Amino acid sequence: MCLIRPGPFINTAIYRNIYMLYLKQFIFSNNTLRSGVLSKKPELLKLMERKEFLRRGFLSALGTSFILPMVGACSSDSVDPDTTGTTTGTTTGTTTGTTTGTCTTTASETAGPFPTKTPSSLVMADITSGRSGTKLTVKITIQNKNASCAALANAIVDIWHCDADGNYSEYGGTGMQSTNYTSVHFLRGRQTTDTNGLVTFTSIYPGWYSGRAPHIHAHIYNSSGTSLLVTQIAFDQSICNTVYAQGAYKSHGLQDTTNASDNVFGDGVGTELASFTGSVADGYVLTHTIVVNG
Amino acid sequence: MTKGLIQLCYRKIIDADAQKAWDKYVFEDTWMEFFMQTQNYNQEGKYRTFQEIADNVPAAANLNYLVSTAAINYIRQLKDIVPDIANVYGKLCLPFNRFRFEIIHADLKDKDGYKIAVYFYSEPVTWIDTLDGKLLIAYGDQRENLQSGAEVETEMIALQPYLNISSVILGSKKSDQEKDYLLSTTENDPI
Repeated sequence: MCLIRPGPFINTAIYRNIYMLYLKQFIFSNNTLRSGVLSKKPELLKLMERKEFLRRGFLSALGTSFILPMVGACSSDSVDPDTTGTTTGTTTGTTTGTTTGTCTTTASETAGPFPTKTPSSLVMADITSGRSGTKLTVKITIQNKNASCAALANAIVDIWHCDADGNYSEYGGTGMQSTNYTSVHFLRGRQTTDTNGLVTFTSIYPGWYSGRAPHIHAHIYNSSGTSLLVTQIAFDQSICNTVYAQGAYKSHGLQDTTNASDNVFGDGVGTELASFTGSVADGYVLTHTIVVNG
Repeated sequence: MTKGLIQLCYRKIIDADAQKAWDKYVFEDTWMEFFMQTQNYNQEGKYRTFQEIADNVPAAANLNYLVSTAAINYIRQLKDIVPDIANVYGKLCLPFNRFRFEIIHADLKDKDGYKIAVYFYSEPVTWIDTLDGKLLIAYGDQRENLQSGAEVETEMIALQPYLNISSVILGSKKSDQEKDYLLSTTENDPI
């Protein structure tokens, strides 16, 4: 690859010609010319971007002959942006490159695409990720016991639960496991409470697995990430019996553990049992209030 | 004709000395996620370090995965190209679609000592030769094309610290009845 920058001698001429060509092509391909877009010369004009290279396939004979004359010009690597005087295209550069001693200047490289601050992949409202099941809208309100049970805004709420067959999304595996980053991590999500202390998730009705009553896990943090409460949300068994008799849940059958016999909820579900409205056809809405010491 | 089909793996280490914006974001956000997730396994605050938690709470093996959720959207921003590993032109070039996240060191009371690694696994590439400390490679399985004399686009990548050949199939491609697949190393078990 040969980088052409504004500088003395032949580089300047080549740079200018390519820049003019770039301008023409840019205007040609953009009917609407926004002011300012072209006012600043690109710092570096690169003769060939790799992706474009790949798209066009291997260098054609024509492409090769076009590139070859540039090689001599590239031997000069002086950088003197925009302060160079007028030069003619006939000047020949004779400098012999940038290698001194045993080291070579590292090639210049674009910093783009610029990274942007982005939330965790857990931050999502629809956590279904393609899992089939009866639709469930989860509405959780967080209240602060230390503030007269007022709504707690800006609390971070993580929830996770199993799918219709009772399986959790991949949960760690072994420490040696590599991950295809396009894969989804279903039925897990994070939201931040609004001024009413409310978060809303769209999901599916959880299935069940042996030894546990149906449940959703919830972890509430304050806005600084300090844990306030780890808890679980319990389900109404009569609704579970309806849901588990149909659709994606049917083959798995009815739950084998009731809230009363569950080793987590067995001491009572007074503050953990959610309210439900809806139907199998329309989906259910789970409403629940969690009180923390914020 | 070729050395074989290989998978390259680059282990990118990120710590408090990170200078690039991407590295800093990953450092900050995974540290925050570690701080948050650790509380699941350390509710009494008995442990300070990731190692202590991992040694004493078996379920905490999930922390590598859970903390990686804070890095995934940054990894997506890389647009499938391994960071830092440039060809001889100085351009980033190596495609990847798998990664592994590792907490090297984390002490809840010492953020400056926090150190993580992201392993980037390349897609399979054909290793043609090694020239002056640089791998001459072609993307994908080009063994048949090379054998038949077809022209194949190649790339040269310098051998360098933290860049490993993580799996290999030596030799030419066999017949369709004896198709080769990249053997998984212990560091790269497929899901």
